[in-house]
Amino acid sequence: MAATEAGRSSRKRKTAVEEPLNTENTFPQNVGLEMESDAEGEDEGVASDDGEVDEFPEIDTRSDTEDEDYESNSEDEEEEDKEEDEEDQEETESEEDDDLHIFPKAKTVVSDITGQPKRVYPPIEPDYDSDSSTEDAPNRVGDIPMHWYDDLPHVGYDMNGRKVLRPARGDELDKFLETIDDPNSWTAAFDKKAQMDKPLSPEELDLIRRLQENENPDEQYDPYEPMVEWFTGKGKEEVMPLSSAPEPKRRWVPSKWEKQKVMKIVRAIRQGRIVPNKPRTTDDQSRFYPIWNEEPSNQPAPLPAPKPRLPTHAESYNPPAEYLPTEEERKAWEETEKEDRDRDFLPQKYSALRLVPAYDQFIQERFSRQLDLYLAPRIQRTKLRIDPNSLIPKLPSPNSLKPFPVYRSLTVSHEKGRARCISVSPDGIWVASGDESGSVSLWETIVGKVVKKWKFKGKIGAVEWCPRTDVCFLVVTIEEQLHFLIPPNLPVAILKATQALLAPANMPPPPAVPSPVKWVSTSAAASTSDSPILTVSLPSGSGLPKQLAWHKRGDYLATVASGEGQGGVWIHQLSRRHSQAPFKKIKGSVQLVLFHPTKPHFFVATQRYVRMYNLAEQKLLKTLMPGIKWISSMDVHPLGDHLIVGGYDRKLCWFDLELSDKPYKILRYHSRAIRSLHFHPTYPLFASSSDDGSIQIFHARVYNDLMTDPLIVPLKILRGHQIREGLGVLQVKWCPRQPWLVSAGADGDVGVWCS
Amino acid sequence: MGRLRQKGKAGAAKAYVTRSAAVKKLQCSLADFRRLCILKGIFPREPRHRKRANKGSSAPTSFYYAKDIAYLAHEPVLKKLREHKAFAKKLSRALGRGEWSSAKSLEENRPVYTLDHIIKERYPTFVDAVRDIDDALCIIFLFASLPSSAKVSPSLVENCARLAAEWQLFVMHTNSLQKVFLSIKGIYYQAEVFDQTVTWLIPYQFTQSIPTDVDVRVMLTFLELYQTLLGFVFFKLYTDAGLVYPPPLDAKKDETGAGVGAFSLQEAKRIDSAPARKVKEVEIDGKRVSSKDVRQTIKSISATTGDGDVEMPDTEDVTPNDAAEEDFVQQPSTSNPQETSSLHTLKTLASLPQSGSSKLFAPYTFWLSRETSRPVFEFIVRSFGGRIGWPSTSGSGSPFDETDESITHVIIDRPVVEKPDETEEERERKRRRKHIQPQWVVDCINAGRILLEENYTQGKTLPPHLSPFEGRDDAYDPTLGLIAEDIGMDEDEESEVEDAIEPEETDEEERPEVAALKAAATAEDATALRAAELEAEAAGVDFGTFEKKAKSARKKVKAAEAQPLPEGEEDMNKMMMSNKQRKLYARMKYGEKKRTEEREDLQEKRKKIEKEKKRQAKS
Repeated sequence: MAATEAGRSSRKRKTAVEEPLNTENTFPQNVGLEMESDAEGEDEGVASDDGEVDEFPEIDTRSDTEDEDYESNSEDEEEEDKEEDEEDQEETESEEDDDLHIFPKAKTVVSDITGQPKRVYPPIEPDYDSDSSTEDAPNRVGDIPMHWYDDLPHVGYDMNGRKVLRPARGDELDKFLETIDDPNSWTAAFDKKAQMDKPLSPEELDLIRRLQENENPDEQYDPYEPMVEWFTGKGKEEVMPLSSAPEPKRRWVPSKWEKQKVMKIVRAIRQGRIVPNKPRTTDDQSRFYPIWNEEPSNQPAPLPAPKPRLPTHAESYNPPAEYLPTEEERKAWEETEKEDRDRDFLPQKYSALRLVPAYDQFIQERFSRQLDLYLAPRIQRTKLRIDPNSLIPKLPSPNSLKPFPVYRSLTVSHEKGRARCISVSPDGIWVASGDESGSVSLWETIVGKVVKKWKFKGKIGAVEWCPRTDVCFLVVTIEEQLHFLIPPNLPVAILKATQALLAPANMPPPPAVPSPVKWVSTSAAASTSDSPILTVSLPSGSGLPKQLAWHKRGDYLATVASGEGQGGVWIHQLSRRHSQAPFKKIKGSVQLVLFHPTKPHFFVATQRYVRMYNLAEQKLLKTLMPGIKWISSMDVHPLGDHLIVGGYDRKLCWFDLELSDKPYKILRYHSRAIRSLHFHPTYPLFASSSDDGSIQIFHARVYNDLMTDPLIVPLKILRGHQIREGLGVLQVKWCPRQPWLVSAGADGDVGVWCS
Repeated sequence: MGRLRQKGKAGAAKAYVTRSAAVKKLQCSLADFRRLCILKGIFPREPRHRKRANKGSSAPTSFYYAKDIAYLAHEPVLKKLREHKAFAKKLSRALGRGEWSSAKSLEENRPVYTLDHIIKERYPTFVDAVRDIDDALCIIFLFASLPSSAKVSPSLVENCARLAAEWQLFVMHTNSLQKVFLSIKGIYYQAEVFDQTVTWLIPYQFTQSIPTDVDVRVMLTFLELYQTLLGFVFFKLYTDAGLVYPPPLDAKKDETGAGVGAFSLQEAKRIDSAPARKVKEVEIDGKRVSSKDVRQTIKSISATTGDGDVEMPDTEDVTPNDAAEEDFVQQPSTSNPQETSSLHTLKTLASLPQSGSSKLFAPYTFWLSRETSRPVFEFIVRSFGGRIGWPSTSGSGSPFDETDESITHVIIDRPVVEKPDETEEERERKRRRKHIQPQWVVDCINAGRILLEENYTQGKTLPPHLSPFEGRDDAYDPTLGLIAEDIGMDEDEESEVEDAIEPEETDEEERPEVAALKAAATAEDATALRAAELEAEAAGVDFGTFEKKAKSARKKVKAAEAQPLPEGEEDMNKMMMSNKQRKLYARMKYGEKKRTEEREDLQEKRKKIEKEKKRQAKS
């Protein structure tokens, strides 16, 4: 309420005061200026708002001596006031306007920019009291970044839209000379709009000075204005108290608690407990006391930092001559990075102690030791003080484990291609070997003379002799076909039995479900040893059967073919002349299959795993995980409890089937992929062949009791096969009755290794 | 089913914190953190799996045990560091406002921290502390020799010099110095204190300056800790030896450059602290039994050592420890409070170094020539019981002057210069004294006996100075002579070449001789060799040529034996090693190979040098 009242009263006062001023201000130029630009009017409006705020102290009776500037600022408002408040004033003013209408006559011209007629007033003579902003602002581009005009000849446009040309500016030398010539040049500032130096006005200089001296920039501002008493002072005292509460006692009684606190300090000072400005104890010596006298805590002490290496002979100032570095060693030492050097100094020899200089890296070395102490992570290592040879397992000497093959006794070579597969007859007298050019040779183990040669189309995938002894034939696989061959020169009884088996006079009844595998046999009478007596054609697209696995009894025969679904696994039964695929579908591509020697179990090796099935119950028994990337070969121990698996990644895994799904032992000794593995049927031996061209013979003794681990002793490395196109020894087979080994290599040689 | 485990709640994620996390947790600056780590002896750890410790990130950071950081969190020093930060702000504010009086009072009450508790924590027992003073001694000796600068205040250098002198005094007093090695880096000393070998390195006496690539703040923080540690360790060592700590410093002597001699060792007996006595009498009743034990131990010790102790010249006022302890037992009420300190004293008595070779120089008196380093040889000689004097140019405090009759050795390190105008007396003196080079002193110490002076006399080329610290058994030993065979081998080779020139038919003629040679090569004992010789003689071969040939044949046989079998059993058995064993084996073999290579390289070099020498001697 009070404020509004004050406002009103101020207005009244103003009108009263301003009447004489109005008369002063009625100058034609002034009015004309106001009409000229709206922007100016707005500016003034803003200024007038400020004025209104500032007006507040005007109410004071003493403030009637107003500044002219101030008034001129607030003239707009005055006009409003007039309009609002007094009608008669209005009238007088309009009269005044009429009187003062002394504008020069405007000419009407056609604008050369817009093409429209426009009024042009003659330029106004800026005599006095004109705003400096209107005075000289030929450039009317407004508040824009001036660098837009940087590469133009003009710097903007004047009010009439004409280009304002860039004033000529001299080079730096000219400028400098100007500053010399003109004593006032240091008060000039660069005007961006005009693109030239403009001298600063005295007011502006004063403003700068004030800002520099941290004064109020307003010259008129008086920081020590007398206080205006609005609510206090004479006649304005508040008579009524705000609260009726009696004055509290604490306002005039000294505090008891403060006194107590002070007294406490006073007493302490008197008793000497507090010594003001106590001198600092500089006695550094007496601050040590028997710190280790009391019982130590039972916590273990932190581990001491490792001690630095002690100096060797090389570090001596006078080392033996052999420690001094040669010229090359010195050079090598200087060229290596500081961090990579194996010792941080070069041995040097001085003839006398007095010639030894200071060590220039001393402080750096101490510093790096300190860095090690607080920045380096420490690891506690147990240092082994053992003979490294004690790590090598103690195994029985190979000499005590004889016999095993040691040397190559003979070689049969296949000229045309790599010898892929071999098979030794169950009596160990004959060897059949097949190569990639499609020929199968039959030769005697002891002599090596080729007795018979069969020729087939395409590669030979596998050759396998029937394990039965009452009959004698071998199976050869080529692309999608299995050929059953009878070797020549058989005893009559055996030949008859074989023919009766392979080409029986009365065929067994065909199976209920017709199989896609065709069994075709020539009659026993017509059969010769030159052509296969029986041919089993696998369904088309099954590819080359890579492996043949006979059941021990010799009635069943499993083949693994490379292509086609169902894993390409077929089990053929000779007596029923029937083939069946044991797996409807199988995970992974099957690499190998094996019959268990004693139980109706069947091993299937995929790329990564070996699965063991029970054929009788038709279920999966276990999955062995050798951890090999790609299984290449597999063989089962004749007793049936152990399995070895070899891989293309050079590993050989020994599985104890009773023990675990994980290998009992993993060996990696070949430098290239393992190609083939074979257990000797009677001797405790097994052999592995690899692409590195070597054959490794192991002694592998298996114990019947479950507690003893199998004993594996490496016996001999047989070398002699050449490596061709990255392939070494492709297959190894043992002779069933002798400790002899037959090996087929990529160089086309088939070797027999004897003990 | 068990509860689901959240990630990062257990295991490595919880046990380790990164450095930045640690700094954040402690709410201090990195510099303060480093300082704390140095003082508290906390160092980064290497987690087994960095990713697991760092929330799956493999960024290169250092890890600390979370428990270590928790242990730092309530460290009083950390609190003081925070207080210091506030203090620094207050002070700068007061200075900025020009409030000098408040700045002064602030400065007077600046927060100060002590490291006593840290010493006790890091080294719970005294032996732990002694075990770890190697680095501390190195740094103290280094800073004692540094010139003071803006970063290294004079008082700091003075304190370091004092500590260094105190340590040397103690080592000299107890004769516990064991080994000295003059290396190109400085002088290594090894002493045995409390059954712990303490090794320290002192730079040669040249002015060192701190290089720019070294962070002095880190060194000073370490120094701060080391000063406190050594203060407590020396206090304990001195009081256990019955000496006053700190040893009083004679300022006048110190100014004249007396060095270690400016300090005087005082027996603790003389100072009786009156206020402490009251507390003690109670204790003493309890200690009666133990003091008896002490006496027994002393007796047993003195029985073993005998009275072979020779007193040092400077510490003559110090009666041997045994006597001091005896006094203590007789008049318990007058002894020092620190002396009662129980169990430790008993142990220390037993473990005080026994004088074996520690009195090596006792019968000798040395005179130091001007160009040898006085502090070094004063320390060394006095530690081994010798007397030593020096000219006044190397500092005051020499117990005798050059004309003293008792001088037996002069340590001199300059070439021989013939002085024409020598008086008769001087010549006589020179003849009587042995002029040896400084290396003799050190080599005697390392050998543990007095070596012959001939090799070390003035002006002679010194034998190589070898490190007493060379430890490995399989390292190259330069003291062993080359095997005569090896040196002679070269000649043999040459003669062999000559032999080869001879026509072949001689060989055929001397068939029986060849057989004899074979027999000689394989002959294992002397009798077999003799038989072979006889046989050769019978075949009509000259003895000399036979000998030569037999030697070379023997060598050939040896070389054949040395060659390993190409495919030995062992090689095969390596297949059966597990992966872990194989890797370990490979690593061990690698180290072994490297060492052998090093050794063989040295041997090769030596052979070459020796050959060169021989050739020069011939020509």
